[in-house]
Amino acid sequence: MRLIIREDPESVGEYIANYVCKRINDFNPSPERPFVLGLPTGSSPVPTYKALINLVKTGRLSFRNVITFNMDEYVGLPRDHPESYHSFMFRELFSHVDIPPENVNILDGNADDLVSECNDYERRIKQYGGVELFLAGIGEDGHIAFNEPGSSLTSRTRIKTLAYGTILANARFFNNDISAVPHMALTVGVQTVLDSREVVVVVTGQRKALAIAKAIEEGVNHLWTLSALQMHPWALIVVDEDATLELHVKTVKYFKSIEQVQEEVEKNQAELKKKKHAAVNGIN
Amino acid sequence: MSSPNGLVCFTNCLLPQEDGSLIAKDLWIDERTGLILDPNETFFGKKLRPGRTVDLSGDVLSPGFLDIQINGAYGFDFSVYENNDDDYREGMQMMAEKIIETGVTSLLPTIITQEKSFYPKLLQLLRPFSTPKSATLLGWHAEGPFLEYTKRGAHAPPYLVEAPKGFNSFEEVYGKENLIGHKEWYQSQDIAIRMITAAPELPGVLDALQTLTDRGIVVSIGHSNAQTDIAMAAVKRGAKLITHLFNAMPQFHHRDPSIVGLLGASPFFNAPIPFPLAYVHCDPKHTIELQGGTSPTSPSSKNATYFVPGSGNVTPGSPIQTGTQSGLDPVGRVVFERPFYGIIVDGIHCHPNSVRLAYSAHPNGCILITDAMKILDPNLKDGIHEWRDGKRFVKEGERLYLEGTNTLAGSVVTLDKCVRNFATFTGCSLGEAIKCVTYNPARCLGIEHIKGTLRPGAHADLVVLDRYGCVKSTWIRGNHVWSSNSIVHG
Repeated sequence: MRLIIREDPESVGEYIANYVCKRINDFNPSPERPFVLGLPTGSSPVPTYKALINLVKTGRLSFRNVITFNMDEYVGLPRDHPESYHSFMFRELFSHVDIPPENVNILDGNADDLVSECNDYERRIKQYGGVELFLAGIGEDGHIAFNEPGSSLTSRTRIKTLAYGTILANARFFNNDISAVPHMALTVGVQTVLDSREVVVVVTGQRKALAIAKAIEEGVNHLWTLSALQMHPWALIVVDEDATLELHVKTVKYFKSIEQVQEEVEKNQAELKKKKHAAVNGIN
Repeated sequence: MSSPNGLVCFTNCLLPQEDGSLIAKDLWIDERTGLILDPNETFFGKKLRPGRTVDLSGDVLSPGFLDIQINGAYGFDFSVYENNDDDYREGMQMMAEKIIETGVTSLLPTIITQEKSFYPKLLQLLRPFSTPKSATLLGWHAEGPFLEYTKRGAHAPPYLVEAPKGFNSFEEVYGKENLIGHKEWYQSQDIAIRMITAAPELPGVLDALQTLTDRGIVVSIGHSNAQTDIAMAAVKRGAKLITHLFNAMPQFHHRDPSIVGLLGASPFFNAPIPFPLAYVHCDPKHTIELQGGTSPTSPSSKNATYFVPGSGNVTPGSPIQTGTQSGLDPVGRVVFERPFYGIIVDGIHCHPNSVRLAYSAHPNGCILITDAMKILDPNLKDGIHEWRDGKRFVKEGERLYLEGTNTLAGSVVTLDKCVRNFATFTGCSLGEAIKCVTYNPARCLGIEHIKGTLRPGAHADLVVLDRYGCVKSTWIRGNHVWSSNSIVHG
């Protein structure tokens, strides 16, 4: 697992957007071989979405051949409710980029049969050959998607009851009326996220610092579901300085040094690839 | 220029909201149906996104303006009928197609006091009308003849009448067929507006108000000498509007504020206990019931009900119908809803200070009107111009007098100019000024679901304004029909 530390939420957003952009462009997606991207909601990814929109508007990225799967959606909240995750995704990303509507997948929290809606979601992900990159955010209690503390680390897409803390935290979006916050959601499972080939997590703000410390410096623990990422072969967490406040100085320094090494390795790899490519084409 | 799938996205623009704010947001419309789309439903439900994007480079995209008092323009006068229906209709169309350059996409043709026999004919001709390239004529606004002689302004004294037989007198003047019930009048049209400006103190007018209102006719108080009690009674009986505030009505007097004073009326008439616990927003719709509190002043304190704004399970500002104009609120107090008021913001009919005073008192009721005469035409020169009945106008800039008098005879100001003036006079934002020519007039006419807003399902009549409020282009039912650079064809 890698941890990238940036100054503030905007720089975090820039970093991730550029990272995702590079991954999509390197993948060179086509209608036959689309790039499958998992997406989160919440306030943390907003700067990332802003930066992604900017990349699209300046012609450096296209979502034409990108398939998206969102992590979660409230149960029973009308799709056009301003706080539904459909509305959020439309407002913050989809309306501004060139993604065809049929490429967008979001769980239907108003489906008659919620269980088969969840099973069908897993099936659709598999149909596309799995998620290439899952972008995620976390809650203050370390939940990834709506996998609240205590969730099974091998869970799949299913119905979840929201933790009291999450309901309290979300009440600000519902006129501070706790009874108006949906108490249930559909969410991808921890295992669904772990199954993707790459996971990138955005974490910003001091309020998330404890969750970062728990997930990085302690063991795999179902009470901090983000910690399951320790079992993933290619995971990246991008945080701002505030989110590192509960980490040991040692930990922070270690990850900062990794970043430099990583950059050098990537640079070497890119040069090797270029040479190889030139040799194949007989140009040298 | 049309979109492959008929859907158009306006982007990089500021959209005026119903609360007077401007927010950076896209607008999706369907140019085939001419309606504004619910983008969420279009994207997730119909799986469509616009095939064409219009980049407005930071301009304001406003609902088209509504002018609910306009007598004519470009040489055509709604009040002049010369025994030829075709000529009249041609004039209507010409005027409706030209006026869009001022940002107006809906207007209520206003006819001044006529010889009695003209009304039935004129009102029949003023059925709602529009072409694909024109503003919508919404119906008619009859200003007179039930007007007070001393406040007649430029209206012809011999034609002024009273209403001794109440509603029957109105039928005799306007024609029975023009005052029929709401549904019959509407026929199958989206919108069909009828409005009457009358002086409530004239014998019989107050008696007719209820019937007029019941039939869906908007009654406006104007050209009147009504004292406060009569003005209040008129509002309680359904009058919804004040015609060109400050003009043709008594001056404000603090002991008898008369018609102007309606802007200061309390939402709670008989002001019983309990008093509100917190400041009550003047619009009674914004008050919320809070059950089960106790009041130290109320003898039956156990089940007292309080009105506390901005709390409880309702969002302030959301449309909750707790009372009508003469209705009761949930604890039985009379709810008084202040009328809307039309105001001419040419800087001549009302001093800028008066404009600000009115707006400060009752911002949600403010409607900008031009009250423009037939010689309204941004390109017309100053001088003497023919009017009617051998009378002539003198136009001096934006001032318009009856020849040989100093009586103001309507205006020659355009509505987009009024918007700019209004922002200057009151210090309000462009978005708040726009609200006074879009959402407020639409709400007064009860057509805010079709005109004057950017709600999904509303007509895509749109005006593009620069940051100074100057009209750059006009769109009728989703089609680009006018642009400040050149006329758009097709």
